[in-house]
Amino acid sequence: MKPSRGWQGALLVVALAALWMSLPARAKNPGVGGMVVGGVFDTQGQPVEGARVWLALGAEGGTTLSETETQPDGSFTLRLPATIPYGEPQSAPEGQTALRVWDDIPSGAAVTLGVSRDHFETRLLPLSGEQMETLRGGEILELPPVALERHIGIAFWTASLIFIGVLLLIASGRMHNTLATLSGAALVFAVSYLGALLVPDVRIFGFEAALRYVDWNVIFLILGMMIVIAVVERTGIFQWMAYRAYRISGGRLWLLLPILMLITGVASAFLDNVTTMLLMTPITIQIALAMGTNPLALLLPEVFASNVVGISTLIGTPTNILIGSYAGISFNDFLHNLTPGVALAFAGLVAYSEWVYREELHGAGQASPLLLQKLSERARITDPDHLRKAGWVGAGMLLLFALGERVHLLPAVTALMGATALLVWIRPDIEEMIEAVDWTTLVFFITLFIVVGAIREVGVIAWLAARIGGMVGENLPLAMGVVLWSAALLSTVIPNIPFTAAMLPVIGYLTTTIPGADNLVLFYCLSVGAAMGGNGSLIGASANLVTSGIAERAGYPVTYKEFLKRGLPALLVTVGLAMAWLWLRF
Amino acid sequence: MSGIVCAVRGGAASKPTIRRAVQLAQESGLPIHFLYVVNLDFLSHTSSSRVHTIEEEMREMGEFILLTAQEQAARGGVEAHGVVRDGSVGDQIVALCRETEAQYVVLGRPRHSARPNVFDEERLQRFVERIASQTGAQVVLVGEDVP
Repeated sequence: MKPSRGWQGALLVVALAALWMSLPARAKNPGVGGMVVGGVFDTQGQPVEGARVWLALGAEGGTTLSETETQPDGSFTLRLPATIPYGEPQSAPEGQTALRVWDDIPSGAAVTLGVSRDHFETRLLPLSGEQMETLRGGEILELPPVALERHIGIAFWTASLIFIGVLLLIASGRMHNTLATLSGAALVFAVSYLGALLVPDVRIFGFEAALRYVDWNVIFLILGMMIVIAVVERTGIFQWMAYRAYRISGGRLWLLLPILMLITGVASAFLDNVTTMLLMTPITIQIALAMGTNPLALLLPEVFASNVVGISTLIGTPTNILIGSYAGISFNDFLHNLTPGVALAFAGLVAYSEWVYREELHGAGQASPLLLQKLSERARITDPDHLRKAGWVGAGMLLLFALGERVHLLPAVTALMGATALLVWIRPDIEEMIEAVDWTTLVFFITLFIVVGAIREVGVIAWLAARIGGMVGENLPLAMGVVLWSAALLSTVIPNIPFTAAMLPVIGYLTTTIPGADNLVLFYCLSVGAAMGGNGSLIGASANLVTSGIAERAGYPVTYKEFLKRGLPALLVTVGLAMAWLWLRF
Repeated sequence: MSGIVCAVRGGAASKPTIRRAVQLAQESGLPIHFLYVVNLDFLSHTSSSRVHTIEEEMREMGEFILLTAQEQAARGGVEAHGVVRDGSVGDQIVALCRETEAQYVVLGRPRHSARPNVFDEERLQRFVERIASQTGAQVVLVGEDVP
């Protein structure tokens, strides 16, 4: 039997009423004493997370009506209950155990909004009569943004010293990178938990707050890529490609050089630079020995190419992974905005290398038939099955990196899915694969995020951002030049990963304050400077140290002076060309 | 006693050492055992888990470096073998001396350099004494007269 129209109408009304009742109240907040919403920001407009926000009776120190903490976006919602238990029995009226919000509060009474957080000055803001009336009416009171001033105290200087100490330990090579950052993180916690028992103001942050600064997107992206690389590096593809380069060049060194540079550069754009140079250096030395030339004439241009071309993709360098995750720059964005500039810089680098090593490249080296024969025997794909499977999975990952942003697929998720698919497909010895993951690097990044988080927490980065912002004003070309060249030159002496991690919030601030910078050009400048700056000195990049280490074991040591002599002009050429591109592009 | 052990690293610095070993082999009629020891200390400041990747590559590179020495020996009409080992350079030299019952060990003297060397002058002298006492082989430092 079909229901009548009347029944249908009645059902519709009941359903709509039920739906309406189930919806959250928007204009009113029945059943409680009101609601206050707002946001807390620092003086640079950045949201302040974890600030305590409260509403209290009186000007200061009165009964707390409600309190909460700000969210990651700085927002807060204070819900006032209908009644609040009296804190002290003697202050309660006889026969009454709880304060009835608004019923027991005289209409003229002052109510204050308080906001406090470690490393900021506390603010107390009395509510106006109009705001009070809004609350009394049971409506939602929306407050204007509350700005908190930074407090520069002992924690500021302590965190700064720890960060500088970590930088010095890494730059001087006195301690392994991971041990240096791990020590820094441990010191931050020791100061925050134990030091604060003696001097409360020295506290930087607690463990949970520290974890908020760890960018897990970066960690999992690196982890996933490590697994893929571990499979690829055992297939012999690099040795095979290098030998093919020799065959294509027909033994002409001036032609072999750009081909090897291109192979190294392209490999570095998809694998990490250290792995690329670990695999390319021994085979390059063998080719050079077979051709009777100095291996350094091929090796140094290769490592320069690795540092330059590595930044053409999101996954090519750790600094790009950091920048991409922080600024939301996608795989495609890097390809569109940076790859042409990198190609330009690479062309300049090839020309420079051909000129600098003209004597070695055009000299008459005595090739050894025996060694060339040995080279051809070794240049083989050792595991074609794994290479084929890794090739398919790699192609799928590239597709997902490129298309994933349309469905909000994070690069870390793509990397993890690709790594898992590859492991399931090839079924390697899982113990071997776990050993192949560079856990020390992952710990390095986690502890680095904590150390950098410490200086962000206490306001060092905000202070630095304000100074640089004041220096460049609203001049975008000046800001581009300052960011690019300071990153490039500083990366020659200080490790570029901690530097980049620390600079990200600074660049984020400049991006919001300089007109025209919202196209993220300053992040690209940071990427170019931090990576290409690695060519300026032997300690500028890990790939340089690995290359020089292997070369030394083959009897071709690279001195700091030798590297500087060849690398610094390479830096000037490549950074100059990349800057020209960024100016044209943006 | 049936051989000459010559530890080489490669490059220009090893050439006089190789020449001296070849000359000694020509004079004594003994075969040469060129030794290259894989040393991955340089990885300590980067990624330690990459050792498995690079170890095989370094072994191949070592074999290649030894081939250049063997070529030089062949040109001098001397029989020469190449041995690549992992571990401590000193221990591996001593071990190879025992295995080959070496009569001579040819080593290059450290040059004055700001860079760290496997053996500085003082350690080299101690090592020469160690080889003599543990293997009975005579150590020839390049630049000195062959006894």
